[in-house]
Amino acid sequence: MTTQYRVAIIGSGPAGLSAASRAAVLGLTHVLLEKTDHLSDTIYKYQKGKHVMATPSQLVLRSDVDFDAGKREFILDTWDSQTGDHKVNVRYHSEVKAIEGEQGSFSLQMTDGAVIEAETVILAIGTQGNPNLMRCDGGGLSHIQYTLDDPGAYIDEHIAVIGAGDAGIENALGLAADPEQRNTVTIVNRNAEFTTAKDANIKALIAARDTGRVIVRTGTTPTLVEPGFITYDTPDGEAKVKCDRIIARMGSAPPRKFIESCGVEFTSEDRVAFPKLSPSFESTKQGIYVIGALAGYPLIKHCMNQGYDVVEFINGNNALKPADEPILEAKFKDLPGRKSVEEWLEFLRSNITILNGLTPLQMREFMLDSEARLYRAGETIFERNDPGSSLFSIASGSVEVLIDANDPTKIVPINTGSIFGEVGLISGRRRGATIRAGEDSICVEISRTAALKLQSSVPAAKRAIERIATERQLLQLFGSGLVSSDLTEVLDNSEIQTVSAGKPVITEGDEGDDIFIIRQGSMIVEKKVAGKQVFLSYLPAGSYVGEMALIGNTRRTATVKAAVKSEVIKLDGAAFKALLEMKPQLLARIKSDMASRQDLNAFIEAKKDSFSSVVDMYSNVANFLVENGMGEATDVLLIDETLCVGCDNCEKACADSHEGLSRLDREAGRTYAHLHVPTSCRHCEHPHCMADCPPNAIHRGPDGEVFIDDTCIGCGNCQRNCPYGVIRMEAEPPKKPGLLSWMMLGMGPGPGEPSKKWSYKNADPNVAKPKKAIKCDMCSGIDGGPACVRACPTGAAIRVSPEKFLTVARLEGEGG
Amino acid sequence: MARQAAQSGRVRSDGTHEGFLRHENFRWLKIATIISLLAIVSYLLIDVQPRHNGGSWFGYTLGTIGVLIILWLSLIGIRKRKMSRGHWSLKAWTSAHVYLGLSLIVIGTLHTGFQLGWNVHTLAYVLMMIVILSGVWGISVYATLPKVMSANRDQTTEAQMLASLRSIDRQLHDAAQPLDQNHAELVRSSLDQDPFGGGIIRRMANRYPACKTRKAHDEILLIMGSQPGDKDDPLEKVGSLLGRKRAILARTRKHLQLKSMLEIWLYLHVPLTFALIAALVAHIVSVFFYW
Amino acid sequence: MSFLIRQISRTSDGREIIRAYPHDLREIIIGRDASCEIHLADLAVELRHARLTLQENGKLDVVALAGNGFEVDGSKTSQAIIDPAGGAELRFGSHLLVISVEDAVVVITAERIEVLSDSTQEKDEIGLFTLRALMPGRRQMAWALSIIILLALLVWPIQTFYNYQNAEKRPAGFHADSLWSSGSLSSSHAGLGMDCQSCHTEAFVAVPDSSCVACHDDVHDHADPKRLKLAKAPLNWDGKISRKIADGFNRPEGRCVECHTEHEGAGPMEETKQQFCSSCHTDMDKRLTDTKIANAGDFGTAHPQFKPEVITANGSPPKRERISLDQKPVEDSGLKFPHNIHLSNTNGVARMAGRMGKQFGFGQALDCKDCHVKTPDGVQFQPIDMEQSCAMCHSLGIEKIGDTVRTLRHGDPKMVVADIRAFYRAGGPYRVRTQQVMEGRKRPGDYARSQPYYAYFGSVNYSRADSAIRSVFSKGGACYDCHTVIAPPAGSDNWQVQKVYQTSRYMMKGWFDHAAHDTETCSSCHAAKQSGSASELLLPGIKTCRTCHGGEASNADVPSSCAMCHSFHADDGAPWVPKFDMTRKRDLSKTRIENDKARK
Repeated sequence: MTTQYRVAIIGSGPAGLSAASRAAVLGLTHVLLEKTDHLSDTIYKYQKGKHVMATPSQLVLRSDVDFDAGKREFILDTWDSQTGDHKVNVRYHSEVKAIEGEQGSFSLQMTDGAVIEAETVILAIGTQGNPNLMRCDGGGLSHIQYTLDDPGAYIDEHIAVIGAGDAGIENALGLAADPEQRNTVTIVNRNAEFTTAKDANIKALIAARDTGRVIVRTGTTPTLVEPGFITYDTPDGEAKVKCDRIIARMGSAPPRKFIESCGVEFTSEDRVAFPKLSPSFESTKQGIYVIGALAGYPLIKHCMNQGYDVVEFINGNNALKPADEPILEAKFKDLPGRKSVEEWLEFLRSNITILNGLTPLQMREFMLDSEARLYRAGETIFERNDPGSSLFSIASGSVEVLIDANDPTKIVPINTGSIFGEVGLISGRRRGATIRAGEDSICVEISRTAALKLQSSVPAAKRAIERIATERQLLQLFGSGLVSSDLTEVLDNSEIQTVSAGKPVITEGDEGDDIFIIRQGSMIVEKKVAGKQVFLSYLPAGSYVGEMALIGNTRRTATVKAAVKSEVIKLDGAAFKALLEMKPQLLARIKSDMASRQDLNAFIEAKKDSFSSVVDMYSNVANFLVENGMGEATDVLLIDETLCVGCDNCEKACADSHEGLSRLDREAGRTYAHLHVPTSCRHCEHPHCMADCPPNAIHRGPDGEVFIDDTCIGCGNCQRNCPYGVIRMEAEPPKKPGLLSWMMLGMGPGPGEPSKKWSYKNADPNVAKPKKAIKCDMCSGIDGGPACVRACPTGAAIRVSPEKFLTVARLEGEGG
Repeated sequence: MARQAAQSGRVRSDGTHEGFLRHENFRWLKIATIISLLAIVSYLLIDVQPRHNGGSWFGYTLGTIGVLIILWLSLIGIRKRKMSRGHWSLKAWTSAHVYLGLSLIVIGTLHTGFQLGWNVHTLAYVLMMIVILSGVWGISVYATLPKVMSANRDQTTEAQMLASLRSIDRQLHDAAQPLDQNHAELVRSSLDQDPFGGGIIRRMANRYPACKTRKAHDEILLIMGSQPGDKDDPLEKVGSLLGRKRAILARTRKHLQLKSMLEIWLYLHVPLTFALIAALVAHIVSVFFYW
Repeated sequence: MSFLIRQISRTSDGREIIRAYPHDLREIIIGRDASCEIHLADLAVELRHARLTLQENGKLDVVALAGNGFEVDGSKTSQAIIDPAGGAELRFGSHLLVISVEDAVVVITAERIEVLSDSTQEKDEIGLFTLRALMPGRRQMAWALSIIILLALLVWPIQTFYNYQNAEKRPAGFHADSLWSSGSLSSSHAGLGMDCQSCHTEAFVAVPDSSCVACHDDVHDHADPKRLKLAKAPLNWDGKISRKIADGFNRPEGRCVECHTEHEGAGPMEETKQQFCSSCHTDMDKRLTDTKIANAGDFGTAHPQFKPEVITANGSPPKRERISLDQKPVEDSGLKFPHNIHLSNTNGVARMAGRMGKQFGFGQALDCKDCHVKTPDGVQFQPIDMEQSCAMCHSLGIEKIGDTVRTLRHGDPKMVVADIRAFYRAGGPYRVRTQQVMEGRKRPGDYARSQPYYAYFGSVNYSRADSAIRSVFSKGGACYDCHTVIAPPAGSDNWQVQKVYQTSRYMMKGWFDHAAHDTETCSSCHAAKQSGSASELLLPGIKTCRTCHGGEASNADVPSSCAMCHSFHADDGAPWVPKFDMTRKRDLSKTRIENDKARK
């Protein structure tokens, strides 16, 4: 008869071991189940000596296990020793296959066949999930491995890497890195081309293949694994080759399936949705609790606090206030009416439509990233053209929108429960209108991340926001006295489409009279002139296309395709025509826009006859720039290599105005017709780097710059996510001697980024400088603007926004 | 939207590249011309007894102006490297540096009153002229070479040049393994040689007469020419590898040549500037010392 | 097993990879060929390079199979016997083979100890892609050059200066501070070229007048400095400014060098320009109200009439006064001389001149030069001498004894009286009676062949001496004709003749050089032919001069600056024009003393 534990904790990450320690201290019978042979595998896998951060700093740590920012080793040692001291009952090599039973009597099936009985289960398994396994025969053999810690450790082997994602490619390259290892590395990809991997990685792989360091098999799947051999099914038949080791990198299945199999429900089908949880972290399945990253808390402190809390709850201590209570109290203390935190959360949840779907726990977390404020009647909430990436919602009272900048009497009210400022979600846009409180109102400012999290976890909210956003965007775009009621029909027939880069939304010569509004990303307009596709114009997000065919009742006059992955709002032609008939004002407005565009087309075609070469050059350059990310850029550094003498003063200036680290690589990057796009941040419309930042440290600044604040924990996600490789992970170098002492006496490394050697030699051994992500911040806060441009002695470097650069003016300039 | 929004307090480009020579539509060229003309005209109008020289009040005026300009010009060395806030652009400085520097030819010469001799005063003058001429040389290379360099480099970075050289060397080393000794020797000589060795002259001239890679390549081509070429002859591979190495070397050496040309004039311009300042100190002190 | 081959290789990140190959052979081959037991991927190694044979005695025999051999413990060879137990190091190309024994097995550890190629070794990229490696550093060059220049052109000269600060005289030869000279000195100062301190006596002190005076000790002031200051024209605005600046840089006003600029190049020193005078003198009376000096700006346009210094009343000394020529001044020189008679071409004078021409080198008539003789420098004329210029006609003979004619003593009235009395006492009556003497011509003009002239006594009774004496001093008498006679009181015979004064220089403020006017005839300036009396002043007026001379800037035949006639440092010599080299009379010690005075 196996013992029945009071709690079984699955996963020994920060959350898990904090929970286990609590249990141990409270003297609850417990078991901590760890898949590997060591605690906290995720942090264990950090590279050696990595500096682990402890954010958010204002959050107090509540756990029996200590944790503070420091070196990976130190932290792991502390945890090992302390869990030891607390006599935590750890069971290593224990992977749970399934959880059966009900509260009070769960039975956990282990992969090693054992079964563990427990009254309650705490899931703290994080989001890593388990790697997809080799399905083919012999998939269970021991020389198949799903991780690769140290590629350098293997020599003289025939190694097959299955799966050509980033992980696979990096492993393969690692194994073949040094010819001295004399490995024969084969990378196997199911598809014909590499779809999942990053550009840089693919390039590196191709290079390795061409120098014969790696064998690349595409359109190939392994069919049989035997000791020493592997058999592939290749486009040209079966192939059996030597193989001493197989590294399977076929991605990992998120743990969701497993969790759902335990009977836990999720908030939505969305990929990034989280389980439904009670304020005490209890899932929809009684007795199963979910904490940590899986519950939507990626930061270590959160996890450890939850570990502590959840055990307290299980132990029946319901009086316990969550660790973030003080933070929330602080948030609410300025609001009128003495309400407790719970009451406030409930008040907001029930009053604000888009929040209705949230659980109390989600509300808590939601409010951590949001602010509730009281605005007195007439008080301005934000001004037109203010920078801002946040969404506002009205919990009580109402606000007024000053739709016309020039005429403050033009006012549109927005009432309780609704939202405003949604344009902020489309990052980097400035506020379209000034908004002030119509009466004393309580509004919640929702940070961008919170809003995105909300949309993903509450589909209803997502729809609501999108509809309002679209409606308002149309109103703003067309103006001319439209009111929302006019748009109902158009909106009902509108749909939001996602267009991947290079795909056309409109093709020249096609039928069709739909109007497209670019919501995200950007488009380029091309026209076939004399058998050549000629670049006509560049359309940033917020502009609309398709009116020519609609009004002229013609076929499409030009091709419009996405410069980058974009989102368009498709308005049904018929519906829009109806609207136009109702609103002659709008018709006139659109006709005038159309006229100017026709002029442009005419101009280019005219030019084409006289200066065809110039026009070709112009559209080639345009296309080149679009290929290089101009399409999603808001501000790009461009170097004219007919002027650049290669002094690298731009890099030096950059380093010297940012704690000695350069954020740009002048030499690297693509060049076309002496126009060079160096490796430097483009400040994308929708920054890839923002996508997955645990501490949410990446923001867009007042001048549209995308910057990383100092809450960065150095996880390197942004670096991996940036398709242009403009983010570096670096530790701040030591202070340099003054400029004059260098000029006169040659002290120190001189201007610019000091060499690694120098930094290493001059580093202060007592202070460990953590590696953080650094990238161009457009010298925000530095009076005078981007140092790279100011420091260019020849005027080769300029920073421009695409629509500034991709104008016909340029063509005229060159056409002479 | 962010991009249309007025960019608070920033040097914004109008989206076109404007070189330092035509900065602000030749603003500094105009200013410098005006200064020079003023100097010349007043030199002709003002009647100094018994004749123009640095010692007349006019001479002292020109001299003072000249020395101030010189000191300001030499400040570009600091300005260039000192990243400070503010709405300055180094391009504007360079532009002013160039044109004011040229105007010194007029001012300095008029200051001498065409009285030259073997003395500290003339030394200062000569140094100034050399510095200016070296600057003119610099301008000319700045104006012409970048295009060439960009074309020659063709998107490869310096790091990549070296890396490709390394990898080609490794491949050569491996490919040459089966060769018999005398052929192997050829390859080895190519591997062991520092392909960029030799002094400044060699680099500037981009002539490497003793290039072992070329020698090896030519000889192997010769041998293969004599032999019936068959596919899997290691010599074939080595030959083509040497060919590629040769191409890489050619590009890298060309790059080195261009870079050194863009740089070398500074080795005259900068030290002589300091020599000039020293000479000016001596010049001025001597004038007051023997007042 | 007899051999264990360990091949060590390193990855780029320094990780060591050891591969072990056991071999159970007596004999193994070292070479580049993959088939060799010890396979060295090393192009310096032959395909089959050497053979190792394990002998019965446990020793290793290493034999090179191909051309180049190998190294054993650093020494090159082609064959070696090695005791594995003792261990050894074999060097093949860039590989090192270490031989040792581990539990009865010969272990051979092979490792590459040299990089595979030049480019694969660590390279400092900045070093390669910039010129730093190839050129001497800019900073170093800048320092070096600056320091050299400062030492050579600042420190050394200053050091020279202080070396000789108290020295009597600098040794000849090069001195560093001459590198500071802004131009060569004028020919007159050329000798000072290497001795800057002879003028620049003090550091940072503008050249003081004492430096000049040290040598030019005879130069005196133009005028009383106080008055000079007053006389100066007021400065206009720019003058004021430059004055202020000059003061600021302590360049006192009115130093010699302001006019006498130096370092203007070899050749004579610059002549002082007219403006230096005119700036004060054009309207000096405005500032110096009490001045006697008339305004003068430009000789051609603004210059007063000449004021020669003439004798207004005879006597000893005579009274001299400067009177403008416009006032037609007369001079009382004490002599009676009609220029017109003597210069006539027709009268008897002319004829006599013609006759006596051969003897005295006259022309057909008398000419100025026959009496007026130039001083050696040709600037002025020597005073007229009676015996030289008059006596040939105006004889003072009284008696002929044989061929000798006794004459009265000229210039000594008492002697004349005495001579006459003596003549009468000695047998006077007889001779007087016989009329042998004291007859003949009364004066030049009435001519008799080959007979001398005699002093004429007038129509007297020759019987008595007293009457003879009286008549010689009276109208018609020899003395009276040319001189002013002062008669004695009655009863006495103390006759006296007024002294004659000949003025050699009339222009006391200016300077006139006859030599410079050689091209002219006397009469073109001096109207002597028309002058009947000696009292008439024959000087030409400024008008005459202006026919040729004009101001400095004028386009007259002879543009003349003030300095042509006037000297700033006026004395009775000619205006100062530096021609001589004055080093000979230089005396440093004197200069020093002077300067010291000047400084105190």
